[in-house]
Formats: sequence, structure tokens, C-alpha cells
Amino acid sequence: MTLLLEDVSLQIDRNPILEQISFRLPIGQVLVVLGNSGAGKSKLLEVIAGLLRNQSGRIIFGGRDLGTLSPQERKIGFVFQDYALFPHMTAEENILFGLQSRQAPSREQTKWLKAVTAELKIDHLLGRFPAELSGGQQQRVALARCMVLRPEVLLLDEPLSALDAASRERLALLMKKIQKKYRVTMLYVTHDHNEARFMGDQVLVVDRGRAVQMGSPEEIFSRPISRFVAHFTATRNILPGRIRERCGVGQALVEVVGVQLMSTSFPVQGDEVWVCIRPEHFSFVEASSAVSLQISDKISDEMSAENLISGYRISQIIPQSGVTVLVELMRRRERLMVFASNRRVEEWGLLVGLEVSLSVAGSHVHCLSRQPRDIYCRPQ
Amino acid sequence: MKQKPVAFSALMTIVVLGAGLFFGSPFVALLHSFVGADGFSALLNRQVLLVVVTSLVSALMATGLAAVVGIALGYHFTYRKKTGGRWLKTFFSLPLVLPPSAAGYMLLLAFGRYGLIGAPLYQAFSLQIMFTTTALVLAQFFVITPLMMQAASSAFQQIPESLVKASHSLGADEYTTFVKVLLPLSRPVLVAGVITAFARAIGEFGATMMVAGRLKTIPIMIYVKAMGGDAGVADGLSLLLVLLSFLVLFLVNFLGEKRR
Repeated sequence: MTLLLEDVSLQIDRNPILEQISFRLPIGQVLVVLGNSGAGKSKLLEVIAGLLRNQSGRIIFGGRDLGTLSPQERKIGFVFQDYALFPHMTAEENILFGLQSRQAPSREQTKWLKAVTAELKIDHLLGRFPAELSGGQQQRVALARCMVLRPEVLLLDEPLSALDAASRERLALLMKKIQKKYRVTMLYVTHDHNEARFMGDQVLVVDRGRAVQMGSPEEIFSRPISRFVAHFTATRNILPGRIRERCGVGQALVEVVGVQLMSTSFPVQGDEVWVCIRPEHFSFVEASSAVSLQISDKISDEMSAENLISGYRISQIIPQSGVTVLVELMRRRERLMVFASNRRVEEWGLLVGLEVSLSVAGSHVHCLSRQPRDIYCRPQ
Repeated sequence: MKQKPVAFSALMTIVVLGAGLFFGSPFVALLHSFVGADGFSALLNRQVLLVVVTSLVSALMATGLAAVVGIALGYHFTYRKKTGGRWLKTFFSLPLVLPPSAAGYMLLLAFGRYGLIGAPLYQAFSLQIMFTTTALVLAQFFVITPLMMQAASSAFQQIPESLVKASHSLGADEYTTFVKVLLPLSRPVLVAGVITAFARAIGEFGATMMVAGRLKTIPIMIYVKAMGGDAGVADGLSLLLVLLSFLVLFLVNFLGEKRR
């Protein structure tokens, strides 16, 4: 049982909005659709919901072709970015709107209203109008309005974008819990990569109406398929490099930022590459062990072979949310961005101007071909 | 340099005072004439009262009709517009800018006894539209429907698109969405549109004049009496329209503030 999209294309006023979007999502999983503003993420949800008609391609859920069904017949819930609560109705009237439109018996209405509002902890808000609710409360009401209809697919269009950090965390946890409990297939649109990592079983990256990469969050974030995906998933170190040697044991020696690093993720052809290293994959190394890397010793090592980079000075320490800082390192005109915990910064006395050494595992040195390719993903 | 704001302020004061004088003088003159000619007594005349009733009835009927058709057109052009929608909307808006006498003449050509639609109607059912109360209603309806359509269009356009999409995604069909979401949310603007349309209908002169025959509405009566030198009736009816217009504007503004 899957949600399958095959070559779904959409044009509005002759402008291509979605181009041959294809993917396959097992039922009960969460697919996070990640992309820039205007990439077509919301329109993709509207097409799946039947609110917009795709000009070509098929949408199949559990073997049923949804293309022939109206939005009312699709059993798809949609939580809009602005929540789209009806301002002239109370929270209760909003939640019951769908059931009443479908002429559900009043007993069933009461049963589902009670169950879902208790679950979402909004049973005390039922008599209030949307204008009297906070953003987080409105979001819960919008979610309840969908969940009482027991949808097979739940579409969420940037549901947390208008909330403060604390509410975002609470609601993200709540949505994850609801999704697991009801085993609803979920498509979750966001441009926030942290949300994508937390919410998604699968992540689909969309760029200018095209699906450029789909995979597990780990795969998307560690092995981006293109420079765009790498940049968009906050791989802050995307450096020009050159493959010096393919070692034949799933390892290659790549020259980047004046040093040679071992990589276990590299293109089969082409030596000119972009070397992508995520800031959280670096570790600071004590000065005493900061010696030049002897590549010959490492060639036969396993995947976790550590690379050592020396001679960088800290140029900036940028506080991040929570317990981490982003450390900017410079060596001549080359720059590296590295995450470190506040504790590590204190323990090691990391200060601006200090020379440091770093290590990074070969499996975290991801090389991308610099040859531009027309990439878009197809269902497996 | 500092003299510029003073000069500007003085200029503004002169413009405002001048405008007040110009726009106020007809009202003062009307009041003066009304008191002098005993306009109140002139109003308590059976013929005049009949004219007031005819005007009210025709305006109410035209407004009711225009409300239904105008809201339907506004809905159509906001949510169901297809190719050529812009042309059609312009076409339906034409009576807004058309000289009312031309509108009345065109209605005569269409619904007159020898008109395009009027002739077959007369031949088949001996039905005569022109120079009856129906003609008054048609003329006023023709003139005020575009007003109502524009009010409805603007009301619907103010409703966020996501609300309509949410309604559809929750299983509501087009009719349910219209009745349960669109109408309640656009009610203040629609009510303001209805009030404005009614005021325009009761004050309609040109088109009504062309199709009224011997029938008289308040504006026609004012014209006839003013030309005939019967100041009392003209004063009384004019003052009635002034008061009605004031009430309408007040209500529309009140509804506008309430909406904000």
C-alpha cells in the first residue's frame, strides 16, 4: 500500500508550477517536502488534495486513482499554513464542519469531537472563536478539524511557520504522536531543515517545481545529490576539490582546502568535485595530536577513517539556539564552519584567534560531481 | 522656509471653507424653501403619497432582484471565471457608466410593445411591460445590478482563498461553501451593497423616466413639480430623499467601521 505520484505536472496560466513529480511513499509514513519559497511545495499538496487539477500524471493511493475523485471524495485532510479556520465559527463549529458537511450522524460527531479534542488538549477551547485563540491553539483546532474526519492522508503546509520556538517544539512532538497513533500517511511541507529531520521518515527536496532528491533524512542530509540540495540542507561547507586517487576499496583521496582527505562517498566519473562536509560532522582535536595526516597509513582503514585538518584559526563564534555554537574557522581565504557544544567551547577555551585542528570521518566527506546534471527522482 | 506650512494651512482652510459653502448652500436653500413653501403639508397629499409608495415598492423589488443577481454574478466572476470573464464582467458593469437616459432608451427598444422581447411577449400573452410598475423595477434593476455585483465581488475577494479551499478539503461542496462560509463572511459588505443599491434605485431618474409613462417616482415627481412651479411638493420630496441618502450613508459607514 503506497501513495504513488507518477509524472504529475501542473501549469497555472501556462506557467509550469510542477514538472513531472514522481515518488512512492509507503502508507503510514511521513514525507517531508522541503524546498524554497515558490518551489511548488504547497501547490503539490493542493494537487494531491484535489484543490488543483494536474494537467498530466497520476496520483494513486492504495490502488485507487485519486485523479477521478473530487476533493470531497478523497479522504485527505489539509492543514493550511494560515490554519484557515472559519472566523465566524467557534472552535467546535470549525471542528464539526467537515463531519456536518458529510452529514455524519450527530452521535458520531460527538464521539469524534470528544476523542480528538481530548487528544489534542483543546476541549476547554471549544466555545472560543479563532480570534480568541493563540497561534498554537489555532493550529491544534485546525489539526482536530482534519483528524475528526479520520483522513487516510494528512497534508500539512508549513504548519509551524507562524509559531514561536517553544510552541513549535511542543506541536511538532504532538503531531508526531498523532501521526504514529492514527498511522496516517502524512505529507509535511516546510523549508526548515531541522523540522524536516525531526518529522520525516522520508524527505523530498523540491526545486522550481521538480523533485530533485528523495530519501531518508540521513541520506538527504549526508549524501545530497546536487549542490542545490547540499546548500539547501545547510551543508555549510561546500568546497571545490579534486579527486586525486580512487583507491578501489570504496575510498578516494580528495584534495580540498590544501589538504588531502579520505572520502567514502564520491562520483564514479569526473575528478572535479564539490566536497560537502556538514558542520556537525567535524570534531575539534587536541593540539597535542594535531599532526599531519599520513594518508598511506589510512588507505586500508575502514569507513570511519579519520581525516585531520590543521592550521585553522577561529575567526568567529556565533551562538546558536540551545547548547551549540557555530565556529567559523579561517586559513588564509579558506573558511570552514563547525558546530561545537557550549561545553566543549568552555572546556577547551576556544576563543577567536586560537589555532585549532579538526577531524572528520571519511564517511562524512561527501563529494559531488561538478558536472551539471539534469536530476529528478523517480519512484522506485 | 517656515512660511510654507502656514501658507499651505491657509490654502487648505480656504478650500475646505469654499467646498463647505458650495456643497452646503443647496441644502440650506432647500431647507429655507421647504419652510417657506410649507413642504410638509404638501407631502400629505394622496397623489404624493402614492408616488412615495410606488417609489418604495419598485425600489425594494429592484433591490431584492439585484441582490440575488448581483451576488450570483459577483460569485461567478470571483470563483468560476473562465476564459473571457474579464470581458463579461466589463459588459455587466456597463450600466454603471452608461447615461441613464440611454439605458432607459435601450430598455424601451428591448421591452417596449414593439421591442425585441416586448413584441413577442405582447403577441403571445398580451403582456405589456413598458409604462407599468414592472418597467420601473426593470429600469432600476438594470442600473443597480452592477453596483451589487461589484459589492459582492469585492466582498468575496476579501475572503482568504485558503478558507474556500479548507471548506472543499473538509468535504463541503460548492453550495455548502457558499452558504456556510462565503455568505456569512461577506455579510457586512453585502448588506452595505444592498443599502447603497436601494438608495440608488429610489433616486434613479433618467432610465426610469424613459420607461415610466404616466407613472411617477419621487425623482420624476420632483422634476415635474419643480418645472411646474409647485415648490412645496418638490421641496418635501427632495428633503425626503436627502434624509434617506443621509441615513443610507450613515448605515454604510457604520457597517464599514463594524467590519474593521
